Amino acid sequence: MPRIPWKSALTRLADEVTWRRTRIAGLTLLLTLAAFALYLDIAVRAQFEGKRWALPARVYARPLELFPGGRLSPEQLVSEISLLRYRTVASGDAWTEPGGFQRRRDEIELVTRPFQFGDGTQPALHLILTFDDGRIERIRRADDGSEVTLARLDPLHIGNIYPAHNEDRLLVRLGDVPPALVESLIAIEDRKFYQHHGVDPRGMGRALVTTVSGGGVQGGSTLTQQLIKNFYLSSERTLRRKFTEILMALLLELHYSKDEILEAYLNEVYLGQDGERAVHGFGLAAQFYFAKPLEHLSLPEAALLVGMLKGPGTYDPRRHPQRALARRNLVLSELRRQEKLDDRQYLAAKTAPLGVARQAPGSLTAYPAFIDLVHRQLRRDYDDADLRSEGLRILTTLDPLAQRAAERALAARLPALEKARRLPADSLQGAAVVGDPQNGEVHAVVGGRDPRFAGFNRALDARRQIGSLIKPVIYLTALEQPERYTLATRLDDGPLTWQERGIPDWQPQNYDKEFHGEVPLPLALAQSYNVSSARLGLELGVPQVMARARSLGVEQPLPAYASGLLGSAALTPFEVTQMYQTLASGGFRVPLRAIRAVLTPDGHPLQRYPLAVEQAIAPAPAYLITHALQGVVRAGTAKGIERYLAPEIAAAGKTGTTDQLRDSWFAGYTGDRVAVVWVGRDDDASTGLTGASGAMTVWGMMLRDLNPEPLVPPQPDDIEPVLIDPATGLRADAGCADAVELPFIRGSEPAESSPCAGQAPAGKVRNWFQRLFDRD
Amino acid sequence: MKYTAIRIAGLVGAALLTACAGLPGVDAEPAPPVSANSAVVALVDDARSAVGAGKPDAAGAALERALRIEPRNAALWQELARLRLSQGQYQQAESLAARSNSYAGTDRRLRALNWRLIGDARNQLGDVRGAELAYARADEFER
Repeated sequence: MPRIPWKSALTRLADEVTWRRTRIAGLTLLLTLAAFALYLDIAVRAQFEGKRWALPARVYARPLELFPGGRLSPEQLVSEISLLRYRTVASGDAWTEPGGFQRRRDEIELVTRPFQFGDGTQPALHLILTFDDGRIERIRRADDGSEVTLARLDPLHIGNIYPAHNEDRLLVRLGDVPPALVESLIAIEDRKFYQHHGVDPRGMGRALVTTVSGGGVQGGSTLTQQLIKNFYLSSERTLRRKFTEILMALLLELHYSKDEILEAYLNEVYLGQDGERAVHGFGLAAQFYFAKPLEHLSLPEAALLVGMLKGPGTYDPRRHPQRALARRNLVLSELRRQEKLDDRQYLAAKTAPLGVARQAPGSLTAYPAFIDLVHRQLRRDYDDADLRSEGLRILTTLDPLAQRAAERALAARLPALEKARRLPADSLQGAAVVGDPQNGEVHAVVGGRDPRFAGFNRALDARRQIGSLIKPVIYLTALEQPERYTLATRLDDGPLTWQERGIPDWQPQNYDKEFHGEVPLPLALAQSYNVSSARLGLELGVPQVMARARSLGVEQPLPAYASGLLGSAALTPFEVTQMYQTLASGGFRVPLRAIRAVLTPDGHPLQRYPLAVEQAIAPAPAYLITHALQGVVRAGTAKGIERYLAPEIAAAGKTGTTDQLRDSWFAGYTGDRVAVVWVGRDDDASTGLTGASGAMTVWGMMLRDLNPEPLVPPQPDDIEPVLIDPATGLRADAGCADAVELPFIRGSEPAESSPCAGQAPAGKVRNWFQRLFDRD
Repeated sequence: MKYTAIRIAGLVGAALLTACAGLPGVDAEPAPPVSANSAVVALVDDARSAVGAGKPDAAGAALERALRIEPRNAALWQELARLRLSQGQYQQAESLAARSNSYAGTDRRLRALNWRLIGDARNQLGDVRGAELAYARADEFER
């Protein structure tokens, strides 16, 4: 038996203990490291997934429908495709890419971009359109000349939103990023991006050496590492931090492809500061600096953004344009050195100006007021859980041409009105809503005179007294009682004092401060006489009139007292549009809507809550009130519309003016549009404008631009046109030279005849009546 | 092969039947074309196939698209009313049929169809009295 000296045994024991300790320590360290790696892995994946799936819903305008006979002039088509940024194809060039067009003398040739609609994908179509008299005459396929009966242009992309919440972000897909940008980014920031596994050992080594030797932490980070830095937004620069970052970068590369990482980077990286808001991602940066979508950036613009990555504050092109320019050109020369550019491209890019938009756009979308409406209706009409899914596409009802017409009319008229009324510049505000009378689709929403500014949305939120816009409701309520009221009824426009317990006596006045005695019912409406209208409303009963307004679609509580008859109720332009939509459609109330469909990424429409369409007015009284409102435009307070629209358009409408000329309104409709304009001041001060001198001029200019369809309401069965002697309101013979034809609900026409031949006193009323209803 | 002969005979017979069904006079009352506009006709065809394929939402979308082109086409409103009735949206169906009536002019056939549809919708909504009135109107137009 070998003798074991106690000392050596002890040593061995000690060795063993040490060895075991070391092993345990080693194991623990390994386990800790593994746990740490696991923890990092979970953390970085959660971060990445969280960002990756934050793809917003893309919002689109209505697609322009192309079909033979469709009302569309070549100019309108060119406007639309310019908005869509179709390129002009020079003659002789090949028609390869979608999104190109060429206008020739009488025809337009174009290639649409493919688009997935609610009913399937429409491929790119190469079409030739000819026109005739403001309409499409023929559509042929360019390849075989075959006739096309119906096609759609791809719809305008009007914004990106997060339907479930209200955040401004502008994420992009890698496929939509200009190749020049991606190329510059990789060339400048991480040349080996597609080769390395998350870290670039050489770059890292350099960085490590300088850090350890106290030279400060250097770059050398890969795009993957930079992405991780951006995820955690920490400026901490320690070795531990660097180590974590490297580990995370390696882990990230294990799980995701290069393209996925690149896309996340493009959307996440910090590129500047917009006041309180950090500008993250190239999509938002393109909007913020150049006021255009990322897809449309030029090479020098892309190079500037890439250059700014090094220090978005230092190279802010608005605050330090010289520095930014130098930095951009450095990027360009590096691209040239790496032979990513040829001399020609390099020189052109180097000499280009910075091209930065003078002012950061106030909003990410060009249509903030409309998008606001889309947001509200999404939350109202769709299930929250459905809206949380990523990558939805929202097909809306926006008509970009109508929107532009509305914006332009406000932009042109408001300064002109300020000048004419000697009002301070920029003191007037305005709002407009345009819709389709038949299906309630909202074509345009303008929330203020700066339509790009996403501030106070007056179209939806400015609740202002509506003045005489309420009057058609009074007259409608009357005309629904044909045994008492017809278009031949005489109203009393003599002095009126209304006494009601608890409120001061009410003595309504006419705008001209005169009383007009006995007046024909349509004249009282056309001239917007307050006294006869109020008296009529009181005869009918204020609650009855207000109930009628509710059935037309007004959801706001309405005043139950007499002054409500002259429009003391406050409504938004949008609410007024709803009310007039019901009149414009012949009595069918359709809730105004901005959304046609919401599609999942695979093209299935989301379920929406059903719309309640209701017949709110019987066809005959609806027909009569429209007839009377056409009189307002033909010969009443809105006669000035004739400066904008041809008489055969036969628009119907009503002016509205409030006390001290605070609000100027016009609400009206043609065959294909219902539109409301409000002009006033945010501080509620007087504008010096009536409905006719203010809002109506905006409305007229806007509608003129839209080339509206004439208003020819279908005549209901129970409507009978009867010849009437305007002087007496009695029946006239066909031989009476002065007779006018008026529609009556059958059985309500006057029984008595008037002996004509000029016995009745000729005068103002007669003349006016002839103008009002003489349709020649 | 005798089966082939039978098959051919069957096909010929089917073709004849199909042809006859399309001939005027075979149907009791052939529906006139929905529109003179070929785009609208194509959309109505789409809508009908979608109904056949059990896709009422797609059918509705096609009809709404057609109505954007011809908002005053009474036959289109009728078609949409019929679709909504089949979807159990009775209130909508009634209102759309009324809409169709407002554009129907002198088309008595269409008016009768609309009133009958309104009657059916009211019955479904439990308005028996209203339904009777509607059917009576339909009878008037069928006389």
